Amino acid sequence: MCRRSATVENGRMVVKVMSVAPRPVLARRSWTGPVYLALVLPLDVLTALLLLVAGLASTVLQLTPLGGWLLALVLRAASGLGGRRRALAARLLNEHVPAPPPPAASTGLFGWRRAVLTDPASWRALAYALVKLPVAIVSLALGVGCYVCGVVLLTYFPVQEHRPDHWRAILVRCGVGLLLLLLASWTLRSVLTGERLLIRTLLGPNLARQRLAHLQETRDRAVINADATLRRIERDLHDGAQARLIGVGMHLTMVGELIAAEAPPEQLRAAVDTAQDALTAAVAELRDLVRGIHPPVLDRGLDAALATVAAGSAIPVAVRAELPRRPSPAVESIVYFSACELLTNANRHSGARGGTVQVILRDDVLRLRVRDDGHGGAQLRPGGGLAGLAERVRVVDGRLMIDSPAGGPTTVIVEIPCPRTS
Amino acid sequence: MRIVIAEDSVILREGLAQLLAVRGHDVLAAVVDAPALLEAVTSKQPDVAIVDIRLPPGHTDEGLRAAIQLRREMPGVGVLIFSQYVETAFVAELLAGGSDGVGYLLKERVVRLDEFIDALHRVAAGGTALDPEVVTQLFGRSRHRDQLAELTPRERAVLGLMAQGRTNTAIAATLRVGERGVEKHVTNIFTKFDLAPSEADHRRVLAVLRYLQS
Repeated sequence: MCRRSATVENGRMVVKVMSVAPRPVLARRSWTGPVYLALVLPLDVLTALLLLVAGLASTVLQLTPLGGWLLALVLRAASGLGGRRRALAARLLNEHVPAPPPPAASTGLFGWRRAVLTDPASWRALAYALVKLPVAIVSLALGVGCYVCGVVLLTYFPVQEHRPDHWRAILVRCGVGLLLLLLASWTLRSVLTGERLLIRTLLGPNLARQRLAHLQETRDRAVINADATLRRIERDLHDGAQARLIGVGMHLTMVGELIAAEAPPEQLRAAVDTAQDALTAAVAELRDLVRGIHPPVLDRGLDAALATVAAGSAIPVAVRAELPRRPSPAVESIVYFSACELLTNANRHSGARGGTVQVILRDDVLRLRVRDDGHGGAQLRPGGGLAGLAERVRVVDGRLMIDSPAGGPTTVIVEIPCPRTS
Repeated sequence: MRIVIAEDSVILREGLAQLLAVRGHDVLAAVVDAPALLEAVTSKQPDVAIVDIRLPPGHTDEGLRAAIQLRREMPGVGVLIFSQYVETAFVAELLAGGSDGVGYLLKERVVRLDEFIDALHRVAAGGTALDPEVVTQLFGRSRHRDQLAELTPRERAVLGLMAQGRTNTAIAATLRVGERGVEKHVTNIFTKFDLAPSEADHRRVLAVLRYLQS
């Protein structure tokens, strides 16, 4: 049985397949590690030698215009090979490192050369290729060597032709072999951790840069969202309450006209009724708009606000809130509107007969969980309501997770960091 | 008057049509968007068209575009822009083709039905009807602040009403002064602005508006 869950992280949708099947006796990861180490050593030797020779040649050629071109080619090759290495690590080590941003867009051959020569990611890929050669040798020696030596020493006595003379020597060899085998899995894990670290730091995107790009993108998104919200409010006011109030004015003018024409009282009464209805509608529209901007009940806390939302839901909804302290107003507002939207979805699309809303603040993370027993199948569609929600949540470094298999139930989780403000 | 209305809000469209009908005017068509407006005006040849600025599908300035096109292609039909807000850029665009048979009123002016219908009559007859709010904005934006400051309060009031498109008789009635007094104020204003005095009401409106916009 497999369960799919989609996570939005750093703008990319990651679909995790959570396996609930029993584990195989020989886990995949127990053999992929040594295979990886054995496989990459020759690759590393070739890569390092190639790049080293070409790099040296380009250094010598720096005296001529050819040097720059060769160096650019070396860098390009290094980052290309780095890409292959990331793919291999993803396959065998299950280490998924995103690609660094490509060199800046350029026009013409000279522009391309400048872009490659000034691309920090390519230089880091070159550094990886050069550093990796000695590391690969040590890694293979330690990671696989422990297993090999352990087995050899342990089997020395029964298998070897020239038996040692003294039984004590045999015991020592066997003991060392056993120790090596016991240590081998730990050594392999440590070595692989080193490999992963190297790939992450030198072949992945620069973390600060990644963070910067993320912040830039979410900032832009926040500005666009704020602008869209203001436009929506303007449109709602213009087409809604403002037009209705002018309508009320028109009805009152009509009342005046009827009085002047000495119209029968029932006609007058009807005109006044119409004016009153129009006024009631205008006030209701303004109230809805105000609630859409900032619901007054939110001032009394997220739990009170969510209870109000749940009370207004067509399907019965149970609310559970564990809030040892109050989150910041911005976080409260985002969580509140997320809950509103998710409950609206549950009411409209899921065919659910009941649901739960849970909001828990623990370990500086605010976690909203909205669940319904409908028919499931909810997913992120570009331009859809859930995608919009995920975007808004991302602006405050939060994330949105959907678990909605066909047939239900649907669970949507919104997590937002909520640090204590000093 | 024979009138065509282009207004996308059903409340306002029907309310306006009812009020005009109560006063005995003929609402020939009440349409929702610009193409329907152009079609209705071409086929029915009304005296005046009342046009909302924001119309479907874009809800931006479709009505204004249609109004400008109407003024150009059918100069015999007066056009009254009917809007919920005053935007000086729109006013300037509307007046660029001249101020004859053009009006711009805020929607809430309908509540004073007599004045609204008076404005409609002016526009239908080839005159001008600008909202007091439009005139205030023109004053505020004018580069001739110094000359405006030279006017006496009474002259300013007369100028404002003149810019709205009112006749001397109407100005006299509004300010409760004699027509001769109004004529004197008008002459003073033209002298202070260094404009050639003009007799016809609508030519004088144009002169004043050009002056304020220049």
